[in-house]
Amino acid sequence: MIWTIGGGKGGSGKSFITTNVGICLSKLGIQVVLIDADLGGANLHTFLGISPPALSLSDFIKKRVSHLREVLIPTAVPNLQLLTGAQDLLNAVDAKSVQKQKLIRSIRSLNSDTALVDLGAGNSLSVLDFFLISDGGILVVTPEPTSIENTYRFLKSAFYRRLKQSVSSSSVKALIDDATDRKNEMGIQNPYDLIKVARGMDERDAQRMIEEIETFHPNLILNQVRSKKDIEIGFSIRSACLKYFGIRLHYLGYVVYDQDVNNSIRRRKPLVLENPRSRAAQCVMEIASKLANSHKMAIRSKGYELQGH
Amino acid sequence: MSFKGIKDQTYYEVLEVSHTATTKEIQRAYEHAKETFDVDSLAIYSLFSEEEVKEIQEAIEEAYRILMDEALRRSYDQSHPQTVGGLPTEEPSEAQKVSGEKKTSLSFTGLSFNSEQGLYRGKALKQVRERMGVEPQTISKETKISIKMLEWIEEETFEKLPPLVYLKGFLKSYAQSLELDPQKVIEEYIRFMEESRK
Repeated sequence: MIWTIGGGKGGSGKSFITTNVGICLSKLGIQVVLIDADLGGANLHTFLGISPPALSLSDFIKKRVSHLREVLIPTAVPNLQLLTGAQDLLNAVDAKSVQKQKLIRSIRSLNSDTALVDLGAGNSLSVLDFFLISDGGILVVTPEPTSIENTYRFLKSAFYRRLKQSVSSSSVKALIDDATDRKNEMGIQNPYDLIKVARGMDERDAQRMIEEIETFHPNLILNQVRSKKDIEIGFSIRSACLKYFGIRLHYLGYVVYDQDVNNSIRRRKPLVLENPRSRAAQCVMEIASKLANSHKMAIRSKGYELQGH
Repeated sequence: MSFKGIKDQTYYEVLEVSHTATTKEIQRAYEHAKETFDVDSLAIYSLFSEEEVKEIQEAIEEAYRILMDEALRRSYDQSHPQTVGGLPTEEPSEAQKVSGEKKTSLSFTGLSFNSEQGLYRGKALKQVRERMGVEPQTISKETKISIKMLEWIEEETFEKLPPLVYLKGFLKSYAQSLELDPQKVIEEYIRFMEESRK
């Protein structure tokens, strides 16, 4: 399975969560590849305490190596490997659909069970596309207005992009573009208004959009929570998304604010290895066990195929 | 559920409860919805316009008013037969799934009851209890608090209340029996009591 971790803003803890959840999964016996696709600051290797890797995805794309697995960097943790090359990865996703699918197939064909992709805080189309084509998109948010605002901005972009990709009529596509601007001439204020207007233009496209809405289930992790009230914000975000977008967001869990997190990052030693009994590490483990369950369910599910989905 | 605007949602959908929700579940869902769609709520920051928030708040109040009144709810159900089997009640189980902690610590909504004063003062507790259709006798039986004591707590007869350490225990049991957040009830009740004494 491919999980992407994105949204929020820089500093919300995406790389920390990607690294530590990845380690927990590998400890559960799952083969994991961490993929660093953070254009702004690719540094998963630092979180893992290893030197900047010499090999990257670029070596595969430029055919300096024949198979993607040759650019995987081993780590000190059994079952855990690292793949870097943010720019190349996102360029490929941005590129034509054939190339995009080829890369996704290559990632899926790696000898790993799970890939965790750190998308960073970017909001570009390629980042959105990677988020949308993965098996599960995870948003990492901190309980602060700036982080929540950025997350909603990201979610809106991903949401409308998903709708746009689902419709065939060019006029409905143009309508979706208009809807992203709140000051649009059609007076479309929210996704519900959009569907209403789209119905008048192309009933089938409107129906397709509703289907996309019903099957879009991004995941949410609330990071750096300091109180029970903060934890509840996750449920409130879920309710807000249901009312606004009509989507069912899955609240995967939360990670408490813990000074041990900063200490572990400074020491370049992953928290779940350095201090597994800390409160934050316990939270991360719980999230990882949920992902591990999804992994098991995906294996059981007959509908899941390794090649594309 | 097909995608609906707030005006087209059933009262059950507005509060995200199932058609078979108990009054306790509706109360919890209402508190959650009130907190979520409060103008100062972090969770809706930058997502909704002021008008949209107002519209949702009105829908929440209306849904709560109807669904907490047995007769009004029955008549609503009869005139809206399509609401049968509405949303599944997933909130409590989801909450526990996320928290991964014991029921006592995190299954509570942790949200304040927005009475006129916005406090869990005695009169607000009484209001909640009555809306849930719970008799003082039932609370007394569950919590072993005397009916007289419950009355003093609800009527804010502070001079009759026991020392703080005992009062906190009573408030905790009382809150738990109504499935409210005990910590919040204790904090807000005592704060109100102390302010009244000034």
